[in-house]
Amino acid sequence: MKETMKKMVVFMLLFSLVAFAAGCGSPSSAPAGEEENGADPAATEEMNEEELEKEPTGPVLSSKAQELEQVLMEQLLPLPEFNTGEKIGALIITLANPYWVSMKEGYEKAGEELGIEVTVMAAPTEGDTKSQLETLDAMVARDYAAIVASPIEPFNLVPGVVKANKKGIKIINLGPPISEEALEEAGGYLDGKITVNFEEQGSMAAEYIVEKLGTEGGKVAIIQGIPGAGQSEGRTAGAKKVFEAAENVEIVSIQPGNWDRNTAYNVASNILQAHPDIRAIFCCNDVMALAAADALEAAGKREGVIIFGVDFISEAHEAIKEGRLDGSIAYSMPVYAKAAMILALKIVQGHDVPDEVYSPLLLVSKENVAEFEDWE
Amino acid sequence: MQGNVKVNWLKIKLLSSYILPQLLLILVMLVMVILLSVTSPFFFTWDNLRNIFDHSSLYIILALGMTFVISSGGIDLSVGAVAALSGVCMAAAMQGGAGAGISILGGLIVGGLMGAANGTIISFLKINPFIVTLGVMSLSRGLALIITGGIPIYGFPRAFTWWGSGHIGPFNPPMLLAALLTLLAAVVLNMSRFGYYTLSLGGNEEALRRSGVSIHFYRILVYILCGVAAALGGLIVTARLNTAEPLAGWMLEMDSIAAVVLGGTSMKGGRGSIAGTVIACLLLGMLRNGLVVLSIPSYYQQLVIGIIILVAVIFAEVRSRKGLAGTNIKGGSTSQ
Repeated sequence: MKETMKKMVVFMLLFSLVAFAAGCGSPSSAPAGEEENGADPAATEEMNEEELEKEPTGPVLSSKAQELEQVLMEQLLPLPEFNTGEKIGALIITLANPYWVSMKEGYEKAGEELGIEVTVMAAPTEGDTKSQLETLDAMVARDYAAIVASPIEPFNLVPGVVKANKKGIKIINLGPPISEEALEEAGGYLDGKITVNFEEQGSMAAEYIVEKLGTEGGKVAIIQGIPGAGQSEGRTAGAKKVFEAAENVEIVSIQPGNWDRNTAYNVASNILQAHPDIRAIFCCNDVMALAAADALEAAGKREGVIIFGVDFISEAHEAIKEGRLDGSIAYSMPVYAKAAMILALKIVQGHDVPDEVYSPLLLVSKENVAEFEDWE
Repeated sequence: MQGNVKVNWLKIKLLSSYILPQLLLILVMLVMVILLSVTSPFFFTWDNLRNIFDHSSLYIILALGMTFVISSGGIDLSVGAVAALSGVCMAAAMQGGAGAGISILGGLIVGGLMGAANGTIISFLKINPFIVTLGVMSLSRGLALIITGGIPIYGFPRAFTWWGSGHIGPFNPPMLLAALLTLLAAVVLNMSRFGYYTLSLGGNEEALRRSGVSIHFYRILVYILCGVAAALGGLIVTARLNTAEPLAGWMLEMDSIAAVVLGGTSMKGGRGSIAGTVIACLLLGMLRNGLVVLSIPSYYQQLVIGIIILVAVIFAEVRSRKGLAGTNIKGGSTSQ
């Protein structure tokens, strides 16, 4: 009995420890420190004064990102009131993926900059749809004014969004879409949407290629990601449209590269085999574009072929500087995240917003790559 | 005088081994409720408690099946994969034009068949259940991937999604299903012949064999039960998310094993507690929910849940070592 008692005490201590650690571990948010009561008017005012001096933009953005931000702000006019200490939640896909880690950092930075309290939550893994919904449910039980959500797949968050609708929490969908059809059926709706325009990514790249090819034109090819994936289909459609409209430009091949370096390498080699006179290859992401460049290099045919990617990852940045890659399409994560937060604020404050907001894009090529030196 | 002391000591021992584990869990749960309620004003609200019950219902249903398997001295690592496979089968059937009812029935049968496969191989060929169910786990995942071609199946009729997100008064179907199955499982494990044989399989198989009971029959039945429970879990996940994914229910087997062990069922078999399992599921559900309500970053969530599971396993091991000499196979060793 004594032993059992001892065990009981240890057990309880452990649980208390866990809970205590939990209490301490909450992410720091508003500098005012009023964790549970963000509406404290004194605290908010104090913050106002502090934050106003920092306006208008964060000092850390690169010059090119600031350019993007400018475009974005115009899209979001009139701007909402900042430094109001609103609590905004963000549900991302997973912190096991570097893309979403930078998204999280972007959200948190935007929160600081805009003077609002941002909390970012995530599912444990990329495929854990059930946990993501459970996380959203638990977030809805809190007092957020709005939640910016990026679903793992179109349906998994639907029941949680319906709950948020009922409670009056605004839901903004960032990135991968939440199925509005399914939402409607379940009696719910989205308050706002923000995404990267995949089609525009494809068409921007294709326009550059067409311009470079000039009146002479020539044969072009597209290497897709995984067929059916939204990014892949959108980028392909955008590029295809521009290529088809251009005179003397002929699409000779559209092949899936599955976002995979090795697959793309083989596909590019095959395209080159079939069409030795190929003039340009547009790839749906940088990894595949880098592989295509390598494949052509290995075949001794890199010269005179334009290879374009999307995403502007740091490896692509290097490659463009060195002339191995012709260009890429960039968008800034911090700007994207900030746009989402501004959109959320606008909706919370009752402004009218466009149906869908697009994060602005930039084309990077050897002509302007020098301007991206401080890009992160 | 001395005799009196002896009796008291015996009573205390009885209490400590049968009832205390549950009291302990309930106490821990109370401490957690109080701590979470004090730390966050959003925890102890009806909406949030409803969330916890709703989310826990899936774990409860799976863990009930697992309680039978573990108290019969076995283990079933395939439940997460079987849940995914059953969900995928239901979805594929509906996609092919079958009604919701028939599709659900089909999915449950698939779950039962996978359980039967587990039980048959384990019982007749006397192969370690860990290995057999590991194989069936991989096989089920593979089948689910093949059926879907790796792409989730979306969009089902309301008659189907009702099972995940419908309403019955203030409750929803998964909660009521979990409650109903809990009652059923408690009665079966503690009061029926099947329950007694299940515990005997884990506690003293030889004695059971000698008394002329068909060991194979009951062992296979236990695994079928677990397979059907997994399929019900698959139904809930698929209906709630309105999506059948080949990778659904990832690591669900670990969650349910953890809950069963935390609930006081012996990993060596012969002792099982339905009440303990259910309380443990609620405890884990509360923990997961509490971590989000407190806005703990997800890195820490994994860590905390990992610690809890480790503590549970260590605790169970200590308990079972201590109880080795006195483990009995009587139905009385279960506490309801």
